[in-house]
Amino acid sequence: MNYDIVIGLEIHVALLTESKFLCSCSTAFGAAPNTQCCPVCLGLPGSLPMVNEKAVEYAVKAGLALNCQVHHFSRFDRKNYFYPDLPKAYQITQDTYPLCTDGYLEYYIDDQLHRTAITRLHLEEEAGKLIHSGGSIVDSEYSLVDYNRAGIPLIEIVTAPDITSPRQARLFLEQLRLLMLYIGVSDVKMEEGSLRCDANISLKPQGSAVLGTKVEVKNLNSFRALERALEYEAERQRIVLEQGGKIRQESRTWDERSGRTASMRSKADAPDYRYFPEPDLPPLRLDPAWVERIKASLPERPLERLRRLEKEFGLSRYEATFLVNYPDFGQLFLELAVAGGDNRALINLLMGEYAGLAREFGHLEPERLTELLAIVDEGLITHSQSKAVLEELFRSPLSPRQIVKEKGWEVLRDVEQLREAIQGVLAGHPDLLDRYRAGEERLFGFFVGQVMRAVQGKADPKVVNQLLKEELNRLV
Amino acid sequence: MRMARLARLELSEEEIELYLRDLNGFLASGRKLQQVDVGGLAGTSHALTVGTVLRPDQVGESLPQAAVLAEGPEVMDGYFKVPRIVEGQE
Repeated sequence: MNYDIVIGLEIHVALLTESKFLCSCSTAFGAAPNTQCCPVCLGLPGSLPMVNEKAVEYAVKAGLALNCQVHHFSRFDRKNYFYPDLPKAYQITQDTYPLCTDGYLEYYIDDQLHRTAITRLHLEEEAGKLIHSGGSIVDSEYSLVDYNRAGIPLIEIVTAPDITSPRQARLFLEQLRLLMLYIGVSDVKMEEGSLRCDANISLKPQGSAVLGTKVEVKNLNSFRALERALEYEAERQRIVLEQGGKIRQESRTWDERSGRTASMRSKADAPDYRYFPEPDLPPLRLDPAWVERIKASLPERPLERLRRLEKEFGLSRYEATFLVNYPDFGQLFLELAVAGGDNRALINLLMGEYAGLAREFGHLEPERLTELLAIVDEGLITHSQSKAVLEELFRSPLSPRQIVKEKGWEVLRDVEQLREAIQGVLAGHPDLLDRYRAGEERLFGFFVGQVMRAVQGKADPKVVNQLLKEELNRLV
Repeated sequence: MRMARLARLELSEEEIELYLRDLNGFLASGRKLQQVDVGGLAGTSHALTVGTVLRPDQVGESLPQAAVLAEGPEVMDGYFKVPRIVEGQE
């Protein structure tokens, strides 16, 4: 039997605020352990939390960017459980009345527009960080706890079970990451944990409307892990079903080394969180005008930029996607490009030699790139010489014009000198000249190459072509 | 018993007896409250009608590390040290 794969994601994004969600401790990454803690984030008796305005603004921004309905009334709840990374033994989150609901994200996969529904987006606080003494939690004698991270603001984003393949799940998460980066609410680094993802996956007979039993997969620490874990899990479930077995509703953890998922806990062991309204925080009532102002200030989103690059700058989907996915390149392009103009040379430069060099050494100043394109356009240097100038730009602080001058790379414009070079090449190959005369026309290219070599590549190939043709016509 | 376990409370036989009576009392009061007709009244999860109070995103002072760790039964290299974590006991 064939099965449809059904995937839903639960994503946590750490917000880029200076201070924590409910207290004024710093959120800076990498400080000495337990140096950014206070009575509030440690859950000491008598302390009272107070919501960080920026965290709410960022969550609203994220909700709007995801086309969500932003609720002017939302509420905080306590989620109760015992775990060493949770100093209060409850997490302040939003359960019954989340900040945002009913949104979606649109993105292209292989030229096709996909839409994944966002069920909800809510604010909550981050837990502390655990360092296990052994290789993993199960073979650790003890664990160490750092509460610097406890209380950093998070948004949890939950998708509808709309995703139909592990690859789509990865691409969706990449696009979500890009969106968060564009709107500037998070640095979304999976390796530092500021972007995390759990996945729910189930199989159902192809075309069936009834969802199968779902399994939650955790510990997905990279985009690759997400895709691989879901591939493994889909295959595992397919085998169980084909053998007439039943899928157990459970949480499974992805093990990167073995490339498998392993059972963590079954539904029967699922914790009972006993949510109740947070008594220490009043409900969140947002001024609709404030939400409108945030909406108006929302920067261009990746899909909007993609469409603008295609429409206004005449780029192909492939080129526009490159610039959207690498926002630093996109920024540079937009700074230098001319809407409605010819941006071929610029995009070819950015996606060509420049891309590799910039990734290794960092970007060049936009003015120097403009000048490089200008001197090629003016004919000061040839296109092939521009590559040498480009490499030099990464090594030297000089401007393109200064480099060309210093290296003596100006195009050879002296027609007589060129003609001499051509005559020299032809005189040096009398046998080939005879063959050309006899009709072997492809030798023309060989002669061009030899002439370019004779002038150290400094001639404009168009001019060389022209002059060579004249010389050959004279001789033939 | 489940509630006691969830709240990490260790109760003696007498205490179980005592709290069972108390809890049953609470439940009876709750049942009485549920009979009140609240149709047409808005839900209230908070006693105060205070609006949203937000705090500007400014970093303030944290506690010194020594003060933070002072509450820890066991510490190591600036961290709290906790015994082996075993899941699924709830």
